Amino acid sequence: MSGFVDLYTEGKTFLHRMDPRVKIIAVLLLTLLALVVRDLFHLMVLLAFIFLLLVLGKATLAKTYFALKMVLRVMVMIMILWPFFNPGGTPVFWTYGPISITQPGVLGGIANAIRILCLATVWYILMFTTAQRDIVRGLVKLGLRFDFGLTLSIALRFLPTFGATMESIKDAQRARGLEFDKGSLIRRSKNYVAVLVPTIVSALRTADTLSLALQSRAYGARADRTYLRELKMKGSDFVALALVVGAFVIPTVARFVLKVPV
Amino acid sequence: MVLAEGIKYVYEGGVEAIGGVDLRIRKGEYIAIVGGNGSGKTTLAKNLNGLLRPTSGHVAIAGRSAAGMTVAELARFVGYAFQNPDHQLFSSTVEEEVRFGPRSLGYPDPEVTKKVEHALEVMDLKGVRDSPPLTLSLSYRRRVSIASVIAMDPQVIILDEPTTGLDAKDIDVLMQYIDILNREGHTLILITHDMRLVAEHARRVLVMAAGRILLDSDPRGSFSDLDLLKQSNLEPPPVTLLAHRLSRFDIPSDIFSPEELASAIVEKVRGGR
Repeated sequence: MSGFVDLYTEGKTFLHRMDPRVKIIAVLLLTLLALVVRDLFHLMVLLAFIFLLLVLGKATLAKTYFALKMVLRVMVMIMILWPFFNPGGTPVFWTYGPISITQPGVLGGIANAIRILCLATVWYILMFTTAQRDIVRGLVKLGLRFDFGLTLSIALRFLPTFGATMESIKDAQRARGLEFDKGSLIRRSKNYVAVLVPTIVSALRTADTLSLALQSRAYGARADRTYLRELKMKGSDFVALALVVGAFVIPTVARFVLKVPV
Repeated sequence: MVLAEGIKYVYEGGVEAIGGVDLRIRKGEYIAIVGGNGSGKTTLAKNLNGLLRPTSGHVAIAGRSAAGMTVAELARFVGYAFQNPDHQLFSSTVEEEVRFGPRSLGYPDPEVTKKVEHALEVMDLKGVRDSPPLTLSLSYRRRVSIASVIAMDPQVIILDEPTTGLDAKDIDVLMQYIDILNREGHTLILITHDMRLVAEHARRVLVMAAGRILLDSDPRGSFSDLDLLKQSNLEPPPVTLLAHRLSRFDIPSDIFSPEELASAIVEKVRGGR
């Protein structure tokens, strides 16, 4: 029901300790890499590498399944539908009228499903090894305006709070005889007015209080604000960065400069 | 009216909020459930109106097992006013807000109007019936939220921390209206940690700590055991503490109003002469 609103899992693995900037860059590069690589076998190698990171980061099975559940469904869809929309190539497995299922079609489906899984998993690794405030801190250090960074972290911070408020509001209305899962679709959406209005009102009240709290702590008093916790790259961070850049650059150069299929 | 047998409730994630509570509430009682934060007061109350279903044990309302009834069906018998009125107010006028409950329960229109008028009357809201509830002061918003529960005409009314955030005058006014409900025959369950409120209004007190009922007695009895109150993070009124300190002069320790203490001392002094 409540699920995991924040995917972050505390830990002490090297992935947890890595500088968030390195992690953000690494995730971006691995994302691009998954798009550059086209060979099924190479994609599987990439996936194996990403899964190794997952294991090294001590991801829990329950949380990983929760995070990737939707992706698994999308993967199945891709694998089923891909061959129908890419009927080119040989050998042909099966033909019926204009529809034909070919080996490249099937393999393409599998490759793209793996690609999706790579993308999702790599972002999941960032989310579960990095506290949200560290992600935001990293983004700000990478050049995001502090205001936007703060807005982002406040938004993320309040998601679970509003989730809880909404549950409480739903309970309050159920205690007044409102039934959410009864009646026609229109009836049901109308019922949600009784939840949405108090939720919005409570969100506005919270925002109002929050802005006062920020002002009373001299938010925006100086443009050149200082930070309590400075991020500092360690030796291992540089090594990790170099490795990821290498892992990205070599296949990319191979594909686009040397024209080698990867 | 309400019967709970051996109910336990464990939240998702394994926190046991109540562990084995037996409770029998008769019609017309005026009960206060007291206890510190996290003692299980609210969880217990939510188990009585079906918002939470006991992990084990069972609840019966008006002789029927609650397990077979939906929250909406239970709402006819057990009304629940939440601590934060802003969690239920959404209509554009007070009157509409109060109408919402009985209409959801499917009462015919004339019946709804009758119940709404009565609820507005009891909570003294007739003067603001056309105002938008969210623009009213907290004291009024709380009264609107309570009125919207009364309007469903439940036999049992649970009020979760109805006095939080109100000043002394507002509390007096509100409690006066709440007392009327009990006189009309409603069974009242007050969730609070204000011991003065308990002393002045309730007739039966359940002291809770760590998910269990430590004591079930009249308010007087609940004040005589200071250690027990401490165990449940409660602070008795100052006059009771004073009476406890004076107990070596044979002053009774279950006192909870200054008048009582004064007359006990006067009697003592006269008697000793």
